[in-house]
Amino acid sequence: MIFPVEDFVADAPKPGPLFSAAASASEANLWTSVNGWSVARAFTSPVKEYHAAKTSAAIADLGPLARYALRGNEAAAFLARLTTAPAARLAPGESARGLILDNEGAVVDLAEVSRLSEELFLLTTPTSHARRLQLAARGFDVQAEDITDDVAALGVFGPSASEVLRAAGLKSPGEAVAASAVVRGVETAARPIQFGALPGIEIVFPKDEALTIWERLVRRSQVGPIGLDAMEILRLESGAPRSGVDFVSAERAHPGEARLPLEIGLPHLAPLDRGWFNGRRGLRQSGERADRRLATLLVDDDRALAGAEVRMGDRAVGRITSCAWSPAAKRVVAFADILPLSSGKQSQITVITPAGAAVAAKLTQTAESALAAAFRSAQKAATESVR
Amino acid sequence: MGERENDEQNAGRIEGGIDAIVLGASADGLAAAAYLGEAGLRTVLLEAGAEIGGKIRAREFAPDMTCIDGDHLISDLDPETISDLDLYRRGVAYASRRINTAYFFDDGQSLEIEGDLINAAASIDEEIGGGVAFQKFTQQFMELAAQLRPAFEASGGGRGRQRQRALAKAMDVSPATARRFNRFLLSSGEAILDDYLPDGMLKTAMLTEIAFRSAAPAHEPFSFMNLIRRWAGETSGLQAAIAYPRGGVVTVIDALRRAVQAAKVEIRAATPVQQILIERDRVAGVQLENGGQIRAPIVIAAMDARRVFLDMIGASHIDIEFQRAVSAAKPLIGSGRLHLVLKGFARDEKTKENMQRRLVYTPGPDNLRRAFAAARAGDIPQDMIIEAIFPAAVDEAVDDDSRQLLSIIAHPLPVDVDAGPERREAIVSAVQANVERFAPNIVDRIEASDLSLPADLAANSGYHIEAFAARPGVMQQWALAGQVTTASGIEGLYFCGPEAQIGYGVNCAAGRIAAKAAIRLSRRGAAAA
Repeated sequence: MIFPVEDFVADAPKPGPLFSAAASASEANLWTSVNGWSVARAFTSPVKEYHAAKTSAAIADLGPLARYALRGNEAAAFLARLTTAPAARLAPGESARGLILDNEGAVVDLAEVSRLSEELFLLTTPTSHARRLQLAARGFDVQAEDITDDVAALGVFGPSASEVLRAAGLKSPGEAVAASAVVRGVETAARPIQFGALPGIEIVFPKDEALTIWERLVRRSQVGPIGLDAMEILRLESGAPRSGVDFVSAERAHPGEARLPLEIGLPHLAPLDRGWFNGRRGLRQSGERADRRLATLLVDDDRALAGAEVRMGDRAVGRITSCAWSPAAKRVVAFADILPLSSGKQSQITVITPAGAAVAAKLTQTAESALAAAFRSAQKAATESVR
Repeated sequence: MGERENDEQNAGRIEGGIDAIVLGASADGLAAAAYLGEAGLRTVLLEAGAEIGGKIRAREFAPDMTCIDGDHLISDLDPETISDLDLYRRGVAYASRRINTAYFFDDGQSLEIEGDLINAAASIDEEIGGGVAFQKFTQQFMELAAQLRPAFEASGGGRGRQRQRALAKAMDVSPATARRFNRFLLSSGEAILDDYLPDGMLKTAMLTEIAFRSAAPAHEPFSFMNLIRRWAGETSGLQAAIAYPRGGVVTVIDALRRAVQAAKVEIRAATPVQQILIERDRVAGVQLENGGQIRAPIVIAAMDARRVFLDMIGASHIDIEFQRAVSAAKPLIGSGRLHLVLKGFARDEKTKENMQRRLVYTPGPDNLRRAFAAARAGDIPQDMIIEAIFPAAVDEAVDDDSRQLLSIIAHPLPVDVDAGPERREAIVSAVQANVERFAPNIVDRIEASDLSLPADLAANSGYHIEAFAARPGVMQQWALAGQVTTASGIEGLYFCGPEAQIGYGVNCAAGRIAAKAAIRLSRRGAAAA
C-alpha cells in the first residue's frame, strides 16, 4: 500500500507506536508527517536504504495507513460495493488490491482488502474514509471499526523478506495466503502485500507490543529500516501512483482534476466484469475514454523536476507530478500527468528544467504499467472474440 | 373473479412478453404509461393501492359532499403532455382559467392581483399606486421564468458535468446572461423584493407566494427561485396563471386514465411491488408482493425516491453518493388540506364575485419567519399562509344551493409521522383561526370539516411521508431531480416520482420525459436486434 501525500502543514504530528524505536534507529533525523503521524523520511541515507530493500530486505513503519476491521454477514458484499477489490471471491487469508471509486467512476483512493475469516475483513487505505464507510454501510449487515489507532504495522520489503520473518520466529505467509503466529506472547498476522507492484510482507500486531516485534526483527535478522524517501524511489520505479501527489482524490478534486482508473494507469484494478462496485456504471459510461494519462518517464537529468512542464515537440502536454533519482536507471524516474500520446511520437518528449532547458525524456514500462497493459490486451482479445 | 382469488392465482407466476412496467398510478405514472402505450409498447401499470390517481382522489367526507385530496388548483400542467395525450378532448376543461388572487393582510387590508400577471399592473396602479414598479418586476422576471422553463424540466441528461452542460443547453442563454442570472439564482426572495417593490403590500404578497408550499421561507438564500419556478408554469395557455379545472383536479386524473385506456395499457390496481429486479446493471422486471414476477426491460417508477431506490432496489445496486442523496434528511415542513362545509350559500352577485377568487391570507414577513421556525421545531404555528377557494363559485358544475365547500391549503405546518386526534384538533383550530382573520364568523357556519395531512396521504399511498412534505428550495430540487432521474445509471430504469419534479402541483412533465427516454431506449434495442 502506497502512502498518501505528506501533510506538510500538520502541526505536532503524533508519535506512532513504533516512534521511539524509529527515532533510536534514525541517524539522519529527518521526519515528516503522514495522516497526522510522524514518519521518518530517512534513517541513514535514502540510497543505502533503497539498495538494502532491492538486494536483501528493509522494514518500514506502515502504521500511518488507515485500517478498518469489517465484520458481519454482508461484509464481503459491502466491500465489493465500496471497493473494486473482489472481496466476495477471496478465501480466508487472501488479499487483493482495488480502488475506491466515486459514482462517476473517478478514483477516490487505493484500497487493499484481506479476508481474515469468513466474516472478518481488513481494509487498508492510504487515507481515512470513515464517513464514506459509514454511508456505504447503510442497508448492509456489517460493522466497520477503525482500528488505525489500535494496531501497529510493519512492512518487510525485499527479496529476503521471508527469511527475515523466519529468523524472527514469525511465520512467513505463502504467496497468496496470510499466516498468523504468536511471538513472545504477541499475536501477529503476516500477509503478502504489494508496494505498488513490488511484493512485500506486512505484519500487523497490537500497538502495545509494537516495540517487541520491531526489536525482534531488527536483532534476529539484522534488517534495517527504510524511510519514506527511499520508498518513494521504489514506488516510482514500480509505477505506483500516490494519492494527493500523482492524482487528487475525486472527493477533493476541483473540476477537471478527478481521474478515472485508466487515466492513472490502474485499469486492471477496476475491471468492469468483476461484479457490482460503486462507480461501475459511471465507469462503463465513460468507456475507454482517457482524457489524461499518468505515464512513467525516464528523464535525462539528475535534478528534481516535480511540477516541470512536459512537452511533445513544441506542444505542452502535461506536468511531472512526482520524481526521484533512480539508482537502477541512473536517471530521474518520474510520473507525468499528460495528454494521451501516440506511441510514434515518443521520441519527441522533453521536460523543461527549472533553468528553462529542454531535457530529453522517454516513456518507460514499469511493473504496474505492465500489469495494466496485460489487462488491456486481455480485455481487447475478449471483446474481439465476442465480436 | 375476486381480487383475493386473482392474487392467489398470480402468486409465484412469472409473466413475460411485456415491454414496460410503470409503477404507481399518480398523474406522472399515468402520463408515462399513456406515452408508452401510444408508442406501441406493451405496458402494464401497477398500483399498490385500490384506486388510481396517487394523492389526488375524490372522496366523500360528509353526506353528499365530496372533496378532492391533493391539489385544488392547477398552476403548471405540462402543455406538451396535454397536446400529446389529447387531454382536452379526454375531459380536461377549465371552469375558471385565470383566477384572480385576493391577498388579505394581517392588518386587515387587502389587495387583488389579476390572474393575468402581464396585465395585473394596471389594476394595481388604481388601487395602491405601485403599478409601475410591479410592472417592471413582472416583466423582468416573467421573462426570466420563461427562459428558465426548459431548465425546470431538464432533470435528465447524464451525470455531473454532462448534466450541467445539459442544463446550460436547456436554458439556451449565453454564459454572460447566465452570470447575470446568478444573483437571482442565489438570492433570497426578500433581498430581491427589497430592490424591486417598495410597496409593502405587493412585497408581502410576493413573499407569501415564495414561501407557499415551500420548505424554504422567503428570507433564506436561493428562495427567490421559488417565485421564478412558479411563474415559469403555464396553465390554459397563459404563463403563471392559476386555473380551476371543471369538476376539480381529479378530472385531470380521469382524462389521463382515458388516455391510458385508449393506449391499451393494462392497469392493475391493488398490486404492490416488492422489488425491482436488476440483472447485470439492467432492469429485468419486478417482483410482486404476492410472489409473482413480471419481466420487462423497462420500468418507470412514479413513486417516491426512497421507496424506489432504497426499498425496491436496495443499497447493493446503487452508488454510495446516490444513496446518500436519496436518503439525505429533508426538512419536515408540509401543508395541510382542510375542507370545510359551510351552511348557507351566497345569494348576492357581489359576494359571489368575491368568492370566485383565489383567497390568500398572508401573515406578514415577521410572522411568516416565526411560523417557519415553529413548524421546523415541530410546533403548530399561530400564523400561517392560507390559500382558499370556493369550488362552487369557480365551477358551475358544482351545484348545491344549501351549503358550500371551502377548500383550504394551510402552510407551513409540521409534518407529523403520526398525528393523534388532539394534535389534529389543534391544527384544525389554528387553521380556522387564520381563516377567521379574513372571513370573520366563518367558524359559526361550519357544518363539517375534514383535515388531510401528509401522514394521511402517505398512509393511503404507501409512499414515504417525505414525498408529501414541502418542496425544498429550487436549487436543491434541481440537484435531487438530476440525481434521481439519471444517477442510478441502471439501464431501463426511469424515475418520475415527486422528486423528479421541480415545483409542486399536477404537472406530468416528469412522466413525459421518463416515458420518452424509455421509448428511445426501446427503439434502440429494437434497432440493435
